[in-house]
Amino acid sequence: MKRYIIKRLLSVIPLLIGISFLAFILINLSESDPAEVALRVNEITPTDEAVAQMREELGLDKSFIERYLTWVTSSIKGDFGNSFINNKPVINEIVQALPATLLLALVSFIIIVVISVSASIICTIFEESWIDRTIRGLVFIGEAMPGYWIGLLLMWFFSIKLNLLPTSGMTSWASVILPGVTLALAYISTYVRLLRNNMVQNKSENFVLYAKARGMKKRIILKRIFKNSLQTTITALGMSIPKLIAGTVIVENIFAWPGIGRLSVAAIFNYDYPVIQAYVFLMAVLFVACNLLVDIVTAMLDPRMRKEV
Amino acid sequence: MRKFSIVLLAILFCLLLVSCSNQDNAEIAKEEIVYASSKDIRDINPHLYSGEMAAQNMVFESLVINTEDEVEPWLAESWEISDDGMEYIFHLREDVTFTDGEKFNAEAVKQNMDAILDNEERHAWLDLVNLIEENIVVDEYTYKLVLKHPYYPTLTELGLTRPFRFLSPNDFVDATTRDGVDGYSGTGPWILTEHNENQEAVFTANVEYWGEQPEVDNVRWKVMPDHQTILLALEKGEIDLIFGSDGDMIDLDSFSALEEQGKYITEMSEPIASRAILLNSNRPITKNVDVREALQYAIDKQSIADGVLNGTESVAPTLLSSTAPYSDLGLEAREYNPDKASELLDEAGWKLDDSGYRYKDEEKLELSLYYNSDNAQEKTISEYIQHDLREIGVDLHITGEQKQAFLDRQKSGEFDLQYSLSWGTPYDPQSYLSSWRIPAHGDYQAQIGLDRKVWLDETITDLMIENDEAEREAMYDEVLSYIHDESVYIPLVYSRTKAVHRPELQGVTFNVSQYEIPFEKMYFEAE
Repeated sequence: MKRYIIKRLLSVIPLLIGISFLAFILINLSESDPAEVALRVNEITPTDEAVAQMREELGLDKSFIERYLTWVTSSIKGDFGNSFINNKPVINEIVQALPATLLLALVSFIIIVVISVSASIICTIFEESWIDRTIRGLVFIGEAMPGYWIGLLLMWFFSIKLNLLPTSGMTSWASVILPGVTLALAYISTYVRLLRNNMVQNKSENFVLYAKARGMKKRIILKRIFKNSLQTTITALGMSIPKLIAGTVIVENIFAWPGIGRLSVAAIFNYDYPVIQAYVFLMAVLFVACNLLVDIVTAMLDPRMRKEV
Repeated sequence: MRKFSIVLLAILFCLLLVSCSNQDNAEIAKEEIVYASSKDIRDINPHLYSGEMAAQNMVFESLVINTEDEVEPWLAESWEISDDGMEYIFHLREDVTFTDGEKFNAEAVKQNMDAILDNEERHAWLDLVNLIEENIVVDEYTYKLVLKHPYYPTLTELGLTRPFRFLSPNDFVDATTRDGVDGYSGTGPWILTEHNENQEAVFTANVEYWGEQPEVDNVRWKVMPDHQTILLALEKGEIDLIFGSDGDMIDLDSFSALEEQGKYITEMSEPIASRAILLNSNRPITKNVDVREALQYAIDKQSIADGVLNGTESVAPTLLSSTAPYSDLGLEAREYNPDKASELLDEAGWKLDDSGYRYKDEEKLELSLYYNSDNAQEKTISEYIQHDLREIGVDLHITGEQKQAFLDRQKSGEFDLQYSLSWGTPYDPQSYLSSWRIPAHGDYQAQIGLDRKVWLDETITDLMIENDEAEREAMYDEVLSYIHDESVYIPLVYSRTKAVHRPELQGVTFNVSQYEIPFEKMYFEAE
C-alpha cells in the first residue's frame, strides 16, 4: 500500500508541472499585452513610455522561460504576484474569498447527499411506479435547467413571492440556502440515477435472494442493498468536491456570494492575469489532489485496484 | 417518519425566524439608503483611479464644483484669476475640518497638490496636471496656483471627481498618496465607516460637516454583480435605489418595464454624453470622405432611439450636444436619407450589382464594426446599423469583443467602424477633445487619415491655452466644424443617466457628472 501511495504521489509531479506550464502559456497566448491591461484597468493612458515602464515592472521584458521559472518558483512559495486591479497580493485575495466558497460547496454537498440518498431509496422501493418516474423526471428537469435561470427562479419564488429568504449576499446563515440549492441541483440528478440504478441492480443479486429466503426484514435488506451500492457513488462524490468548488462561478455571481468564483469572473472580465493564473493553477491542483485521494481511498477499499498501476 | 417530521418542523421554524428578521430590517431602512451596485467601491484614494467615483465623491471634496450653469465655489469661497490667466488665488473656507480632526487649510491643499503632482504620469490624460508651474501657500487660508500657460478649463478640471480632491495629510504614506493611503478622512458629507470587500460598504453622515447635513444617517453600498439580482432585490425591498449610466447598472428594457409597472419611480438626467460611431479615415474604403458622408445618411437614428433605447435618449444631430460649452455652432444635421446615401456612394464609384451589394473595381463594399460585447445595448445598435447599411448595399460585419480586446483595437486602429462614447459633462468638450490627440484612443486612430490631422491636434493644444474667449470660441468652431465636415463620427444619440428607486425615497437628483450620485440630497418620506 505504501508503495502504491508513493508511486501515485510521484506521478503527480510531472502532471503539476504540465498544468503550471499550461496555465502560464494560455495567458501568454492572449492577444492583449498584460502591461497595457495593467495600465488601462487603472485608467492610465497607455502611452509608449508608460507601457515600457510597466513591462519592466512586471518583468515582461524578460524571456518567456525566465518568466515562467520566476512564476513557478514564487507560486510554490504561495506568492502569485499582485492583482492588476488593486495591487494587493493575489494569495490574500484568494485566501479571503476561499472560506465563502468552501461554505457554499459544503452546504451544496450536504444537500446533494441528503437528497440523492433519500430520493434513490424511495425510487428503489417504488421501482418503476409513478413515484419513481416522477422523482426521476423532477431531478432530470432540475439538471437540465441552466443554473443561471434556476437561481433566478428560486430567488423570485422563495425570496420575493414567499418572502422567506434574502435574495443575495452573505448576510445571515439563511443566505446560503438558495445558492446552495442552486448549485446542488445540477449534481443531484447524476447521483440519484447512479445510486438508484446500482440499488435496483443489486436487488436481483443472490445475497438479496438469500436474505429474503432467510426471512430477513425488508428494512434490513434495503440497508444491505444500499451499502453494497455505495462504492461507485462515493468515488463520483469524491470527484464532485473539486467540481463544486470550481463550479460556483455562476451561482456566486447571481447570489452576490463573495467567493473565489466571483473573484475569478471579475479577473477574467478585467484581464487580471495574475489572478486568473493563480485561480487556474489552484483549481487544477485541487482536482489532482482530490483525484489522488479518491484513488488511494478506492485502492484501500479494493486491493485489486493497486495492481493496475 | 417521526424524525422526518421533526426536521421539517425545525426547518419551517427557522424560515419563519428568518422572515421575521427581514421585516425588522425593512423598518430601520428608513434611516438608511441601500444602494446596489455591480461593483465594489475598492480603493477610494481620491488621487488614484481604481475606486468607484461615486464613492470617492461622497467622501472627498474639491475647491470648486461644476454645476449646470457654471463653476461654483466649494471648499474655496472665492477666487481671483490674474489677467494673463496664469495665476489663480483661492480664498478657502475657514470652517472646514477633515473627519480625523485635522484642519483644512492652504497647507493641506498644497500637500494634496504635491502628492498629485508627484504621480504626474498617472494623470497624463488631464492637461492641468502638466501645466502646474508651482503651488503656494499664501497664508493659512489663501492658496495660489501658478500655471505654465493660461489654461481656460482650469476651474472645471479642479472640480472633477478626481484627482483634485482633498484627503487629510495624516493619511498620506511617506508624504505621498501614489502607493496607497492609511485612511480615507475627507471633508465631505459622508464618512466611510465599514468596508467588507466585495460585499458592502457603509457610509455614515458626517455630523461635523461644514455644509448642509445629509438627510439620512447611512448609505449602504451593496455589491451585486448580476443585474437581474439587483432587480429582484429592488422588488423585494432589500434595496432602495439603482443609479447609473450607459447600461452598466440597469438595461433599458428593464428600465422601461419598471417604469410601466408604476411601482417604482424612474428618473432620467438631462442628456449627458454622446454615443457615436467612429469612421476610420485611415482604412482603404472609409478613407474616402464621400463614403463616410454617405454612411451618415444611411443610418436611421430615430429607429435606434425608439427601438433600442425605448425613446429614453434623443437623436444626436451633431457629435456634441448644442448645450455643451462651445458646441452650439449651427452645424447642419444629416438626417436619415438612404437615397442620398446611395447617390453619394454611386458618385464615389461604388455601384450596386445584382447581388444587392456595391462593388468598385471588383472589390466589394465590405466594412467591419466592433463593439464591446459586455454591453448588450451596443450589440443591438450594431445590428440595426448592419441592417440599415445592407439597405444601401453595404456589407457590414459586426463583431463583439471583450472590453480589453476592444480597447486593444482602439489603440491599433484596426477597425473601419467602432462604437464610441464621449466623456460626458463636465469633461465635454475639453477633456474629450484633448484625448483625440493621444494615439491610444480610437478617436486619434480614426482621424489619422485626415489631411489636416496635424493641424487639428495643434489647434486643440492651442485652444486649451488660449486666454481670449472669442478667439477660443472661434478655434472650437473650426475644430468641431472640420470634424463634422470630414464625417469621422456618426452621432447617434445623447445618453442620459438613469435612476430607479422606491417611491418612499425622495430627492433623487443628478449631478453634472454621470459618475457622481448625490446621496446627500436624498431622504425618505415620513409615513
